[in-house]
Amino acid sequence: MQLDALDKELMCSGHVGCPGCGATIAMRFVLKALGEKTVMVLPACCWSVIAGPFPQSSLKIPVIHTAFETGGATASGVRAALDMKGDKETTVITWAGDGGTFDIGFQALSGAVERNEDFIYACYDNEAYMNTGIQRSSSTPYGAWTTTTTGADWKKLRKKNIVEALVAHRIPYAATANIAFPEDLIRKVKKAKAIKGSKFLHIYASCPTGWRIPSEMSIKIARMAVQTNIFPLYEVENGVNYTINYKPREYLVREYFKLQGRFRHLKDTDLDQIQEMVNEDWALLLRKAGEHA
Amino acid sequence: METELSLKKNLYMARTSVTTESNKTGSWRFLRPKYEEKTSPCSTACPAGEDIARIEMLITQGAFKEAWETILRENPLPGVCGRVCYHPCEGRCNRREFDTSIAVHTMERFLADTAARNETKPALERLPPKGKRVAIIGSGPAGLSAAWFLNMLGYDSEIFEAMPEAGGLLRWGIPAYRLPATVLSNEVARLESQGVRIRVGEAVTASRFEELKTSYDAVFLGCGYWRNRALNIPGEPGQGVEDGMSFLRQLRQGAKPDVTGVSAVIGGGNTAIDVARSIIRLGGRAVIIYRRRREDMPAFDEEIESALEEGAELRELLAPVQIAAIGSDCILTVQQMKVEGLDRDGRGKIVTAGTSLVEISVQRVFVATGTTAVEAWHEPPPAAEAGDQHNASVHLYLSHCTLQQEQQGTPIIYGGDLTNTDKNVTQAIASGKQAAMALDTLFQSGADAVRERLSACLVGEGPSLSMEIYMNGPRKERKPHIVSYQEINTDYFQFEPRVIQPRLLIEERTSSFDEIELKISANTAMREAGRCFNCGICNNCDNCYLFCPDVCILRGRDMTERHIDYDYCKGCGLCVVECPRNAMTLGEEEKL
Ligand SMILES: Cc1cc2nc3c(=O)[nH]c(=O)nc-3n(C[C@H](O)[C@H](O)[C@H](O)COP(=O)(O)OP(=O)(O)OC[C@H]3O[C@@H](n4cnc5c(N)ncnc54)[C@H](O)[C@@H]3O)c2cc1C
Ligand SMILES: Cc1ncc(C[n+]2csc(CCOP(=O)(O)OP(=O)(O)O)c2C)c(N)n1
Ligand code: SF4
Ligand code: SF4
Ligand code: SF4
Ligand SMILES: [Mg+2]
Repeated sequence: MQLDALDKELMCSGHVGCPGCGATIAMRFVLKALGEKTVMVLPACCWSVIAGPFPQSSLKIPVIHTAFETGGATASGVRAALDMKGDKETTVITWAGDGGTFDIGFQALSGAVERNEDFIYACYDNEAYMNTGIQRSSSTPYGAWTTTTTGADWKKLRKKNIVEALVAHRIPYAATANIAFPEDLIRKVKKAKAIKGSKFLHIYASCPTGWRIPSEMSIKIARMAVQTNIFPLYEVENGVNYTINYKPREYLVREYFKLQGRFRHLKDTDLDQIQEMVNEDWALLLRKAGEHA
Repeated sequence: METELSLKKNLYMARTSVTTESNKTGSWRFLRPKYEEKTSPCSTACPAGEDIARIEMLITQGAFKEAWETILRENPLPGVCGRVCYHPCEGRCNRREFDTSIAVHTMERFLADTAARNETKPALERLPPKGKRVAIIGSGPAGLSAAWFLNMLGYDSEIFEAMPEAGGLLRWGIPAYRLPATVLSNEVARLESQGVRIRVGEAVTASRFEELKTSYDAVFLGCGYWRNRALNIPGEPGQGVEDGMSFLRQLRQGAKPDVTGVSAVIGGGNTAIDVARSIIRLGGRAVIIYRRRREDMPAFDEEIESALEEGAELRELLAPVQIAAIGSDCILTVQQMKVEGLDRDGRGKIVTAGTSLVEISVQRVFVATGTTAVEAWHEPPPAAEAGDQHNASVHLYLSHCTLQQEQQGTPIIYGGDLTNTDKNVTQAIASGKQAAMALDTLFQSGADAVRERLSACLVGEGPSLSMEIYMNGPRKERKPHIVSYQEINTDYFQFEPRVIQPRLLIEERTSSFDEIELKISANTAMREAGRCFNCGICNNCDNCYLFCPDVCILRGRDMTERHIDYDYCKGCGLCVVECPRNAMTLGEEEKL
């Protein structure tokens, strides 16, 4: 993989992300693609901490730390301020966790994209409220253990399909991306930057601590999420044009599940059921993209 | 005015240029990643120990000259070996477990042919002159290799060759359809231009050998096995009975012997197969008679397969009993054999099957059942006599050659077919290399140092040796650990079919001695080399750099020469796991 001209680092060493943190890898790739002319809006999440306690900063771009539920609203304001200054060049990006996106920040996000505010909303998805201690979110997948879905009460509800919710707003661009596929991820960020209006990126970012996985496996597991169709790579333009970016090898979802401590309690019958759900979602996506299995 | 001012006052924007870099997160680490290149399985399987993982990497980059030079550091005859080496490297290629092995020999041949076409001159390291001269008897692959490597190590050498041209069996044994004379002469010319001196038409007699011992500092013997082993049955020698080696030699001298009708070829080695294939090309029919089964034949399987494709007939489990001339024909009487249990060496044990004899009527019989040394003095004294040291004399029985030094006299070293258990071209080259290393160590540090010095130059587990390691080149840094398939991160590779070797049509093959295997294009070669995992070596793919969550893979100015900033590395291990080719290692952190 040769990603030339992406040698500039806008993220610093010495941050306090956990070893093997997928969210930091995601940030690094996104900043490489966006470049220096970027303002970041950061609602409460792990990244609020990783970005550093003042006066330290692990990011070499301006960052606005903001309230948990305000990612969409704050970005709208920043965009308006830049526009008033005549700065059309600077990109505004909201960088929020799944909790801040799927749950508490959803209203502000929905409002901002309904107005088609010119910004990128990137959700790095680690599938729970990690910063506060692994509580389940509406992004936590079916079957997962969290500190609020323990023992026999593991989560028995499906993960919310956030991209479809955004697609329903008919925004110019919505896409999934994954830290194990940097070329695809960087291409999508650059594409989003070039489009005017609201852009939504759903970035899969593994979490060694919250998922109970070894730190060195965090890319492998991220890659498997795509290979198994659990997290397909696709993009949607103007709410209608679907493109699937990766046709997976025929891996079984159980390969993905058995590597992670958060799924350890699942029985074969549960995994069979999950496989069916994944197959169903994939078939639905293929249909939307006008493709056949 | 007021409001504006107060607004300005109240709008406090924190500015900072302090980074997180004052947090030395390296203190979190309990596992330590490091760059550590390892050994590819193919390179240990190659008798010449070629650095195959690197060669394929260089081909992929289009650096053909560097790739060719990388071969030449370990093997002076890539044009020859790319054609006739039975490529054990491919048998151990990790890619086999993924789809199919890399066509290593095809790449080797491509590089040699490209260099020959462009008349490329290699730029290779050479040690300063040592002021010592070595006489080499025989210009087969063993002798040529010894001269090449002695030359690299700073020795003067001179090859004495009885035949009018250099090359040994490469010139006078292996037929042109597998190894054209121009390929060999090109390689020999390059060796000569690099300083190897060959005196053709100078047969060394026993007395001349004694003279050489006094006028040179050492003598290398690579005389080969040229005496045909007789069947020792009635009718041999006799009318219609010919020896296979002489027949092949005549062909390579330009003769076109008459082989009309049916010829029986007795034997199961490369010579028997090449005799049969040559007979077919001259318009005759060939029946190979072998006392064991096809799977027991010492000839390379691909060659047997080709011979059968070209129309040779194979009759297994038949042992010749007598040959009788009847008019201009021969009656070959054979005994039917069968397999019963196992031999001491694990092969099927062959015993006679009943008493019935079979008579086969043919026009002539070629005997090709093996060869031995021509003169007794060509061979080293048997190993049983002594250990390494004996009455102040040195007897070193090394994996590929034997070194002898009587009472501080001139060291004599025997190599090639004379000493190799596996008698083939690349093993002969390996023996020439080992001889050069052994002699150099003997001269520099004495006989006692030889074994240890050689074992430090093994490729992986050996027995193949690396001259680059011996000369303290960068390859010395490689760990001997052999990368297994399980250690390759195959997520970074796609299934891709192996290159299809273009070949002459069967009709073209059976009617001429033209080379069968045709050349491939540079594009094809690059694509094939691109399939290589580059097991154990860094090809600058940048995965480690990209995936580090802590931005602590630092690269040199040319974006290579990576190293890890241990001030910040948390030891997550991602770089190591995501390195596709195991060029990194994760180990315990040594706490102070
Ligand atoms: C028909 C045939 C096909 C083969 N095919 C293959 C193959 O496909 N692949 C493979 O790997 N191997 C093959 N081999 C085996 C391979 O050719 C030998 O193992 C190899 O050539 C041995 O090399 P060498 O240097 O020890 O001896 P040789 O190649 O036999 O060379 C010995 C040289 O010493 C010279 N010489 C001997 N005595 C004297 C003297 N007193 N003075 C001066 N010069 C002297 C000879 O003239 C000769 O040139 C084949 C062998 C035969 C016979
Ligand atoms: C209104 C409000 N409620 C709760 C919190 C506490 N809080 C801070 S971060 C966080 C979890 C964030 O989860 P997510 O958005 O998924 O990001 P992650 O930490 O997983 O990266 C919570 C609950 C808060 N800051 N504000
Ligand atoms: S993949 Fe390449 S380096 Fe690895 S064993 Fe095969 S030829 Fe050698
Ligand atoms: S990826 Fe970075 S932090 Fe992790 S072990 Fe490698 S160098 Fe250290
Ligand atoms: S990941 Fe790539 S660049 Fe890093 S050591 Fe391995 S081969 Fe070299
Ligand atoms: Mg989260």
